[in-house]
Amino acid sequence: MKKLISLVILGTTLFAEVQTEGFVGLDSQSYSQKDAKHSTNFTLEQQLKLSYEDGDFSSVLEVFAQEDYADVSNTKDNDRTFARINEVYFQYEFEEDRVLLGKNIRFWGALEVNNLVDVFNIQEGRNDPTRTDKIGAYNFEYTHYFEESEFSFITKLYEQKNKISASSYMYSTLQEGESLNGTLDSEKSLYRPNVYLTYNGSLSDDYAIDYAFIYQNGYDSQRYSTKSGSTYTEHAYLVNKFMTYNTLVVDSTLYKIEFAYADILDDNTVSDYINLGLGVEHTMGHFEDGSEIGLIGEYYYYHTLKDDKLSDIDLAQSFQNDLFLGLRYSLNDVSDSSAVGGVILDTQYNEQNYYVEYESRFFDTFKVKVDARYIEPSTSHNTVFAKQGRQHRFGFNISYHF
Amino acid sequence: MKKVAIASLLFAANLFAISHAEVAKKNDKTMSGFEDSKSTMTMTLINAKGQTRIRTIRSKSLELDGGDKSLMEFLSPADVKGTKFLNYEHAQKDDDQWLYLPALKRVKRISSKNKSGAFMGSEFSYEDVSSFNIDKYDYKQEDAKTSILQGKEVYVVERTPNYKYSGYTKQVSYVDTKTFLTLQVDYYDRKKSLLKSSYFSDYKKISDVYRTGKIHMKNFQNSKESILVWNDETVKNGLSSKDFHKRALKK
Repeated sequence: MKKLISLVILGTTLFAEVQTEGFVGLDSQSYSQKDAKHSTNFTLEQQLKLSYEDGDFSSVLEVFAQEDYADVSNTKDNDRTFARINEVYFQYEFEEDRVLLGKNIRFWGALEVNNLVDVFNIQEGRNDPTRTDKIGAYNFEYTHYFEESEFSFITKLYEQKNKISASSYMYSTLQEGESLNGTLDSEKSLYRPNVYLTYNGSLSDDYAIDYAFIYQNGYDSQRYSTKSGSTYTEHAYLVNKFMTYNTLVVDSTLYKIEFAYADILDDNTVSDYINLGLGVEHTMGHFEDGSEIGLIGEYYYYHTLKDDKLSDIDLAQSFQNDLFLGLRYSLNDVSDSSAVGGVILDTQYNEQNYYVEYESRFFDTFKVKVDARYIEPSTSHNTVFAKQGRQHRFGFNISYHF
Repeated sequence: MKKVAIASLLFAANLFAISHAEVAKKNDKTMSGFEDSKSTMTMTLINAKGQTRIRTIRSKSLELDGGDKSLMEFLSPADVKGTKFLNYEHAQKDDDQWLYLPALKRVKRISSKNKSGAFMGSEFSYEDVSSFNIDKYDYKQEDAKTSILQGKEVYVVERTPNYKYSGYTKQVSYVDTKTFLTLQVDYYDRKKSLLKSSYFSDYKKISDVYRTGKIHMKNFQNSKESILVWNDETVKNGLSSKDFHKRALKK
């Protein structure tokens, strides 16, 4: 089925007038030294997007490839060199409806740092976890549009397995000698469809509000692992999940909320849970040079409803009782330069994650990003950050866009 | 005889006397009635050293009584290609605005309170590129004076933005007395100093409606300039509110 969809869409784009865009880039980081992990990393990245539009019909093919220097030079195999199809789909817009078939990426959420309702796609496990890098999922979507809202029926055709890098990569969750089993364990078939019903819209009479409600029946985005010898196996389970994300605009301030409740259907080791995120984003007045400052505050809460099941640490939940305080400075210049900085404070396990990022453009075709991070992990609990240890990092990314 | 001649002259002068608000109304009427428009805009950014950068934007708008709706898609620079900006204008309250970020597939609600920010790093602010609506301003309560600009007789119209968060304390527009088309607007900042001037040209009559072809904005405080040119503009395309539904952001 997947191959058939890919062939149909590939054929459509190859034999039609297509628009192309993409980038070629170099991504690098240097880290504070840690045993059996690389202290630096260099990755070449390429992305090509072909899109075709003819009236109400459109199709997209987006491919991405990366080559890790450690893989290519054989100094130590990171398992981070691959090519993948990010998206390959076609869609047709009717007067008040839309259908989409293929592999694509969706975004659900309102918050800035962590979107707990953005559950449709899995995150690429072989890359820098601090950046958004989602993998497309094959699905069918039917959407009906109302005057100021829309209703969608989406069915994901299979549940994807995670791939992770080898232990030598800084952000691999594996230690030296460990590996991840290539299977995703589940009670039911991984080809059991995931069903999502979404309803979202906007109100603008008395208050400006964007609202969205999602019901999911299928495999949860949260997974857990078990270890046998030196091999980990990942487990997926079914849920009924109710989610919502909303934004309220009052003057120069955005108030945001994301909420999820998961009812676990077929796994006795995982508890039902709730996930809550609250956010506020305030844009301050402009300076005379046109630049502006935005203040961001967000709080994330995760809570299992039964104590005798896997805990948030067992489930590698790193945003279980965390506060983010940040500041965004936009220069509003010809290069769209901006800087974002902040700290994520884990109020339960006493962890701090400080970071600052800056990005700009030069010669209109090159984009450059630099970032610096410092993580002070928990000393009392074996959290994700505690497993990685205290670390400094400096990152640099440059890309040519066409 | 001399008294009769003077009286006749004064009578004639009164016939042509027109208030600031009335000039604005006639100007608005001249530019209204396009129903909807589609165009590709080219924006040239010129810094103080004369170096230029080009931006292209695909734009469409819908003319509505309560405030226009518009959708802009950025075509260049390449790294922001596909970024879209949807705006529902409201004369008496904040606009509704959404931004679509293609790299994240994200539709983001944004606050429209502060309209004085630079539009795509240019010398135009979001306030400048929004459509003209006479209800957005208070006008001087007297007859508009005339002057000569570029060899043409113009009305000099003073208006004050009634939007509390406007970046301007005053705007002075120069409107052709024959065509009622705007030729120039001077913008005064919050310190009441002349900040910049925009020069309107290349008016085209499309389907019996005047449309602006080019606006050249000169900032006198930082010596930067921006030139906005509308290409291939069409009006009365039969667009409706459905074309400005949030779905248009992800299309």
